Amino acid sequence: MKEVKGFSKVRVFGAYIMIALCVFLGILGVLFMESPLIAAEKKVIVQAMDRDPDILDAMKAAWYSDALIYLHDRLISRDYDFRYRPGLATGWDVSEDGLIWVLHLRKGVTFHDGTPFTAKDVKWTIDTIKDPKTASPYAGDLKAIDEVKIIDDHTVQMELKYPFPNLLFNLSNTASGIQKAGCYEEYGEYYGIKTVMGTGPFMFKQWVRGDRIVLVKNPDYNWGPEWMSNRGPALFDELVIRTIPEESSRIMELITGGVHVLRDVPPLQADKLKENPDINLFIDQSTRLGYLAYACDKKPFDDVLVRRAINHAVDRETIVKYIFSGYATPAYGYLPPALKDEYLEESEELGYKYDPARAKALLAEAGFPKGFETTLSAENDSTSKRLAEVLQAQLAEVGIKAKIQLYDSASYVAMLKAGQQDLFVRLYSWPNADILDWFLLSTQFPYPNHSRWCDPKTDELINSAATAPTWEIRAERYKEVQQYLIEQAVWCPIYIPDKMLAVRKEVINFKNHPWMIQYSDGIDIVTK
Amino acid sequence: MLRYFVRRMAFLVLTLLGATIVIFSMLHLAPGDPIDLIVGPNVTPEVRENIRHQYGLDRPLAVQYLSFMKSLLHGDLGNSIIQHKPVSELIAERFFVTLELSLTALFISFLISIPIGIKAALKRNTVTDYALMALSLIGISMPTFWFGLMLLYIVAFKLRFFPISGYGTWRHLFLPALTIGITDAALLARMVRSSMLEVIRQDYIRTARSKGLPERVVINRHALRNALIPIITLLGLRIGGVVGGSVVVEIVFARPGLGRLMVDSILARDYPVVQGVMVVLTTCIILGNLLADILYAVVDPRIKLK
Repeated sequence: MKEVKGFSKVRVFGAYIMIALCVFLGILGVLFMESPLIAAEKKVIVQAMDRDPDILDAMKAAWYSDALIYLHDRLISRDYDFRYRPGLATGWDVSEDGLIWVLHLRKGVTFHDGTPFTAKDVKWTIDTIKDPKTASPYAGDLKAIDEVKIIDDHTVQMELKYPFPNLLFNLSNTASGIQKAGCYEEYGEYYGIKTVMGTGPFMFKQWVRGDRIVLVKNPDYNWGPEWMSNRGPALFDELVIRTIPEESSRIMELITGGVHVLRDVPPLQADKLKENPDINLFIDQSTRLGYLAYACDKKPFDDVLVRRAINHAVDRETIVKYIFSGYATPAYGYLPPALKDEYLEESEELGYKYDPARAKALLAEAGFPKGFETTLSAENDSTSKRLAEVLQAQLAEVGIKAKIQLYDSASYVAMLKAGQQDLFVRLYSWPNADILDWFLLSTQFPYPNHSRWCDPKTDELINSAATAPTWEIRAERYKEVQQYLIEQAVWCPIYIPDKMLAVRKEVINFKNHPWMIQYSDGIDIVTK
Repeated sequence: MLRYFVRRMAFLVLTLLGATIVIFSMLHLAPGDPIDLIVGPNVTPEVRENIRHQYGLDRPLAVQYLSFMKSLLHGDLGNSIIQHKPVSELIAERFFVTLELSLTALFISFLISIPIGIKAALKRNTVTDYALMALSLIGISMPTFWFGLMLLYIVAFKLRFFPISGYGTWRHLFLPALTIGITDAALLARMVRSSMLEVIRQDYIRTARSKGLPERVVINRHALRNALIPIITLLGLRIGGVVGGSVVVEIVFARPGLGRLMVDSILARDYPVVQGVMVVLTTCIILGNLLADILYAVVDPRIKLK
């Protein structure tokens, strides 16, 4: 037995030597730690996202990436107050009937390969988005444009089929980032994967799928919009957008400085990050809206009394407090207040407050004194699941017994398309009133009109708003739409989550923009 | 020997055939439509049909399967619907990220489990044995997801010895490999222990001892060699499970590997990519098992490949 012991000691000793070696190498690694992302001489800002885009082509990307914002400029920009301001177009004249838009283009702008930007790039970009062969998800946004005419190198004329003031928004949207005319032919099938050609403040360097997108500053950039304090090149060298799917890993990276900027901070982490001395947390109202919807063409949801009862049964304050730790606002209307021009100020006043007694009374009036049984569908992410559970309990209070059904996102869409839903939970994220067209016009039935709301009056109100001759009239008419939707209780709006952005303090001159981070506007990083 | 290989290869083809049929039908039976994810609902039905046609999704399932198999025989895995790139390229980009992780994890698990297993076997029914086996039980019971996050939290986040996520250098590789390595080692240590115990009771060990061989030689040359069988089994499984075993770890540590590609593609109903990954995966499993079978024969000449 002695020898046995001796042997095992030798073996185990050998193993320990190996482990010690590993530990030694580990320590060595720590000592010579030099993350490739944070090289000393280059100034790099790292932002984390939860997933990779499908393609880095603004007009084709279905899974949007922030990189697209910085690679391209758009004809129209949005300033810190979210107003529409000149971008690549220095100005635009709209005819009185709203049918002809003349845009004057900025001079001295070049693409990342040095080619000057002219009217033909604008025409190419818009024509290509509209071309059915491109299969752009955004083709519908520009359907009002009948033709783009080149007047001269720096003037284009857009002829519209009908007045469409929202073109302002659609031309300022990421999808409308101006790309170089003929880039598909020039770069072939790897356009959007290995090359991207825009005029933006950052240029494409590398995309390692599932890992990172690296952008370098455009040293020639001097055509930033007038409202920026720095209209020239960005002050730092590289912008790295990393894909980190796991939420806790993203947060840990932020706290340890591996990541400097994190969008969409989860509410449960907000308090902790707020107390962190190295991090600034910017909290703003988002342009999202979470709601409970129902198949309005099915019994009993075809009865407005039942729909109002559901609206009265939901305690929004409790949901905001317990599911979102207070980092959300109760919603009573159909648009988020961040859409200053179009939002109906009286939404809360006109909307339905929490009142279970009233809900029961309405149900009784509709012929359901004992309530009814139904299903409640949701996606199986943690927030939707918890929301569904709370809603289930609140609805049960007034006698509506809902069975929860959970789906992954592809199956959820398939289920909604097939019209199998009763009650269901949704969240939209969109900074424009045309989201109501998207979800509620009868032409959108059965999907995305998943609340199965086909109503001539709604169609009429929305269409008249969308084709109003001016932006102001459009805004007024969308208020009428919202008022009517509240009256009809088409959805049960619940919450507007806060938009939370965490930025490490090494990142200086950071200004919070309501839509996207303006990295070229004087933002810099100080390395310790 | 040659006949054995021919038979195994034929078996590989048959298994692949079966696997592709199962995968193909299961994928297409699941609700959801990849077209929704690429074009969104606001396009005309003509455009949708156009794209559906472009990817051949408008044909009957059987025809789609046959054309998939035909391309496969030409070595072509088709194009990703979502990522606009050939599937083979997507897999090639990620395969080595995952292989690197799996092999390092395998190495770590051997490094830990073999000494522990032997030690526990030789000290059978002592405190050392119980302690080591209790440790291994804890290791088996820990969910990889949780263990990975804990390692991340303590070693990378609190102690800052290693980067938290990403990939590229060996420092990015260490923690994810350790996560899988330790989890595997826990199971393997028990396997090594039990097979070691079985072997040292054998007659030939007694013979070896009685003819006066030093104990070290007895254990090293006679016992360990026979006790290696379970280790080889794990080797085969691990090589086969390159993808499966590392999905969770790849998500936690943000490594752009094959496992994540597969999960993302399943969620997006990106049929060609899922099929492609599954073909690679099935091939790996079969080859891994084949490798294990060959190694059995190398280690133990009594095992013949028939």
